[in-house]
Amino acid sequence: MNTPAVPRLKIDRWRIFIFYALLLLGVAVLVFQLINLQVFQYSTRLAQANENRTNVISIPPTRGIIYDRNGYILARNVASYNVVITPASLPNDEADIQNVYRELSALINVPVNNGTVEEAKLLSACVPGPGISQLVQLQETIAPYKPVSIQCNVSEDTARIVREKSMDWPGVSIEVDPVRDYPTGILTSDVVGFLGPIPARDEALYTGQGFQLNRDKVGYSGLEAYFQDLLAGVPGKRVVERDVAGQELSNLEPPIAAQSGYNLVTTIDTRLQKAADAALTGEINYWNAYFGKIRITTGAVIAMNPKTGEILAMVSYPSYENNRMARFIPSYYYNQLAQDPAKPMLNHAVSDQFPPGSVFKLSTATGALNEGVVTLDQIIDAPGQLVLTESFSPNDPGRERPFVDWNAAGFGKIDFLHCIAYSSNVCFYKLGGGYKNEVKQGLGIERLREYARALGYDQKSNIELLGEAAGLIPTPQWKRINRGENWSTGDTYIASVGQGYVLATPLQVLESAATIADDGKHVQPTLVKAITDSSGKVVEIWRDNEANLYQRCTSPTTNQPGWCDTGYGITDQVVFSQCQQKNDNGQMVQGFCGTDEKKQPIFREGAIQESPFTGGHVLWDITKDPVINDFQCDGPYCVPTGNTKTVSPDVVKSIQTGMRMVVTSDPIGTLNAVFSGRTRDFTTPFDIPVAGKTGTAEYCDNVAQAANRCQFGSWPTHAWTVAYGPFNDPEIVVVAFCYNGGEGATVAAPIVRKVLEAYFEIKNIDSTK
Amino acid sequence: MRGGFWRHFDFWLLGAMTVLVIMGITMINSAIAGNIELTVTTPLVNRQIIFAVIGFVFLMGTAAIDYRLWSSMSNTLYVGMIIVLISLNVIGAALFGSARWFTTTLIYIQPSEFAKLVMILSMSHFFVQHMPEIDKPKWALRSLLMAMFLTVWVILQPNLSTSIVLLVIWFVLLWVAGIPVKHLVGYAAAGVTILAITFPLLVQFQLVQDYQVKRILNFVSPDPNARYGDIYNIQQALISIGSGGLFGQGYGHGTQVQLRFLKVRWSDFIFSAISNELGMVGALIVIGLLVFIIWRCLWAARISRDTYGSLVSYGVATLIAFQAIVNIGVNLNLMPATGLTLPFVSYGGSSLLANMIGIGLVESVIMRHKVLEL
Repeated sequence: MNTPAVPRLKIDRWRIFIFYALLLLGVAVLVFQLINLQVFQYSTRLAQANENRTNVISIPPTRGIIYDRNGYILARNVASYNVVITPASLPNDEADIQNVYRELSALINVPVNNGTVEEAKLLSACVPGPGISQLVQLQETIAPYKPVSIQCNVSEDTARIVREKSMDWPGVSIEVDPVRDYPTGILTSDVVGFLGPIPARDEALYTGQGFQLNRDKVGYSGLEAYFQDLLAGVPGKRVVERDVAGQELSNLEPPIAAQSGYNLVTTIDTRLQKAADAALTGEINYWNAYFGKIRITTGAVIAMNPKTGEILAMVSYPSYENNRMARFIPSYYYNQLAQDPAKPMLNHAVSDQFPPGSVFKLSTATGALNEGVVTLDQIIDAPGQLVLTESFSPNDPGRERPFVDWNAAGFGKIDFLHCIAYSSNVCFYKLGGGYKNEVKQGLGIERLREYARALGYDQKSNIELLGEAAGLIPTPQWKRINRGENWSTGDTYIASVGQGYVLATPLQVLESAATIADDGKHVQPTLVKAITDSSGKVVEIWRDNEANLYQRCTSPTTNQPGWCDTGYGITDQVVFSQCQQKNDNGQMVQGFCGTDEKKQPIFREGAIQESPFTGGHVLWDITKDPVINDFQCDGPYCVPTGNTKTVSPDVVKSIQTGMRMVVTSDPIGTLNAVFSGRTRDFTTPFDIPVAGKTGTAEYCDNVAQAANRCQFGSWPTHAWTVAYGPFNDPEIVVVAFCYNGGEGATVAAPIVRKVLEAYFEIKNIDSTK
Repeated sequence: MRGGFWRHFDFWLLGAMTVLVIMGITMINSAIAGNIELTVTTPLVNRQIIFAVIGFVFLMGTAAIDYRLWSSMSNTLYVGMIIVLISLNVIGAALFGSARWFTTTLIYIQPSEFAKLVMILSMSHFFVQHMPEIDKPKWALRSLLMAMFLTVWVILQPNLSTSIVLLVIWFVLLWVAGIPVKHLVGYAAAGVTILAITFPLLVQFQLVQDYQVKRILNFVSPDPNARYGDIYNIQQALISIGSGGLFGQGYGHGTQVQLRFLKVRWSDFIFSAISNELGMVGALIVIGLLVFIIWRCLWAARISRDTYGSLVSYGVATLIAFQAIVNIGVNLNLMPATGLTLPFVSYGGSSLLANMIGIGLVESVIMRHKVLEL
């Protein structure tokens, strides 16, 4: 290689210079960007890197159990076994994997191959369809370290076999999924309710509390919904380091354990519930069979202790099977329920309202006697029909119109108590609207409304169920706004017998009777006896009228003890105290006071101790608390005087006597036949003294109108009966309602007697134990 | 050959390169930790070490051989490489969707890496021959045809990024050889026109693949509605670099690297891995060493005793500089994603071997720069 060098040719220096310059520029840009990323963007990029590797895992809490008053379980959690495959743990060899799939497929009856991965993507977990290979392939691309469900809810035997095979089938395992189980099912579903997935509307709320979408469930109705915050518990949290495949490597923070939900002890007695259900459905089935068609579509029965307000039984017919909603809400079943005109998912006992009919006469009677419209010894003429003047304004000469009694023969001349006993419509027309010289000044709609409200009508009872109906006692103003018509004298007449625009829930009818039975004390109806924590210790829980639940806590800012809204957890800045304030009606009411983040005061009306049960929360006593607004009346026109008054205890006693006479007046007392044993069902008298009132409420709703049944004088009727016993020291009050049942005395009364019989029999059994 | 040449052997160049190679192997070791596939089944670190050792032997061998030998063998090398590339296209295994590799019992050989060296040697020879006439369009066009005839087989593999490297080498040598600027503007205009016309055809016949077009489009205007995967890699690279900060998260402790959020962290994205674990200090050391190597090659070009040696050195400098800037540019999201690796650092045996031979060529030039030395 010693050949002389080729003479060196000239390379332009400027060309080399440009080469250098470009290189330098390139390097400068790189370094500039490097500094930008590593110095100026350092914190955001570090945060992104940390977000990459940290995984916040929510640990599901155990949902609380719901018991009846005797400790019988109404709602619990049972294990559901899912066969799952963790793709990352499968054998390495494809042949071995196929072998595992084949053996597993034979056991759980899921095909090895079915459909495509794309199709599997569209289905949510547990929906049958894709083959094992497709499910695993899909999961492998998403999260290979997370198990994918192959078959859900397999039998315990299958689960055992899979567990035994775990050595031969690496990657295949059993996942235990807690599922809500309702041992009493359809019997208590209207009270207990059911669970469903976290709804999109409340997503932020629940995920904020640490719950996980598509895993945790929330109450959709009944007690499950009302006590969601307490039953659900507090999810725990783990912050773990994960790799790109999702494998958990270590805890980055000390894990926070989940807090189990509180348990609920309800006031329901399952045995009485069963008896009430049997009585109601038996009666409905009897009449439907008797008429050869579905006549009675819905019904309700409630039994309550009138002194404490404990609901012992609450049945709504028809109902639904909440166990079918346990795993997921099947659309066909849900649609079937939603489209049923009888509305099985509605609790007809509290969320539905109907004309109460004659059971409403208790309000008219109380008002008429307390206002001096009538005296006890006054004799009233009660013929079968009354021709009254229907006028719409003071100067309207009016039009004569007949108002009929249920008994076309009439009752002749009777006193006030027999008006109640016989449920004479004519008598109550006169008391409500006045009649010539016989009853010069009727009670009038304004005053009737005051007494009805005092007994519990026209307002929500604030029982622990969501979606309660408020009922309606109309006022002239209400009619002008909603019907575009003046209040007429006829409206007052028919409102006096619980017809016309008057609407009430079965619970309100029950409450009115309970208030009379308990000598005027109106107690808060309740479904809860106690709320206990997971160790069984009773916790102190209060609530307001808006279904907010409170427990004692200490303010994190001021360190003052107070009350925390359980819906927000204890970390919430708002800590409430119990206080008294004027409400919208100008009454001083108990409630919870606090200040929100903007330092604005919050007042929430209502303060009721929910747990432990204090033996009855008296909301008001009509004989002591001035809950009646006084009105000065002249004819049908009344003006408030601004004063308030109470109901005389003697008046309450008289109404009780009247209700007792409904049972004892032989033979016309409307409950006499059933309780003295002169009917198809009953041949012996009921040996415990009871008092009550029946109702046969005419109605003309869209269903009746569609069937062309709204003919004058023969409207279809709802059957009502409310009764309590023992008369001298009442411990149970029962209401029964049958939609389109016909006569209260023949359809609803037998149900009430059967429930009362069951109650006293159960009491007997318990006392001999 | 006399031992005297070794007196001028540039130990600085060799040293800088060796440090880079060791850094590379060390980072590969950290990058693949925990991955059974890459540590046990196909142990990347062992392979890279074997290639480094082979590369070192080749480097010394190349340095020992007078570089002017290659000038005389230019045509043989050129024709031989074309035969290899054609046979690769015909019989080569279709691996990763492209016929880039020769599979031997032990390792894969990627001939296109060596095509870069052949391009440097044969084009240098061509330009030395025709430098005086380079201002005539005929010779510039002939050089283009010659370069294209080698490159087209790489395009057909298809391997767009290596093809671009080959053409860049040709262009830089053309530039250094003294192509008149006004001609260049004319050629560029013609080239752009031809490319604009043929590009749809290239896409049509799959010579430019969909994913390549997508990569470019993604870079020019990132689609805000794009699926996560399309921008995943580059996002993770930026996070890796940024979260490294000044001093890095520590060797073997980079969360992005160790938890495998960063993809192909042992080859295309090793710069991000270094930035993540060793921080800006590590990244600047890598850039500094590369700059030093390039500068040393350019220095060799300047002191070379003949034009051929200069052009070869410029070619090697271009080869290293272009690949390094593009690779780091991709890591820093300054350029659309390509398949170019970081010279001496990234995993890849053929590439390491070719680059080390390139250094050997430069050493050979440096060793023989004194005309009268015997």
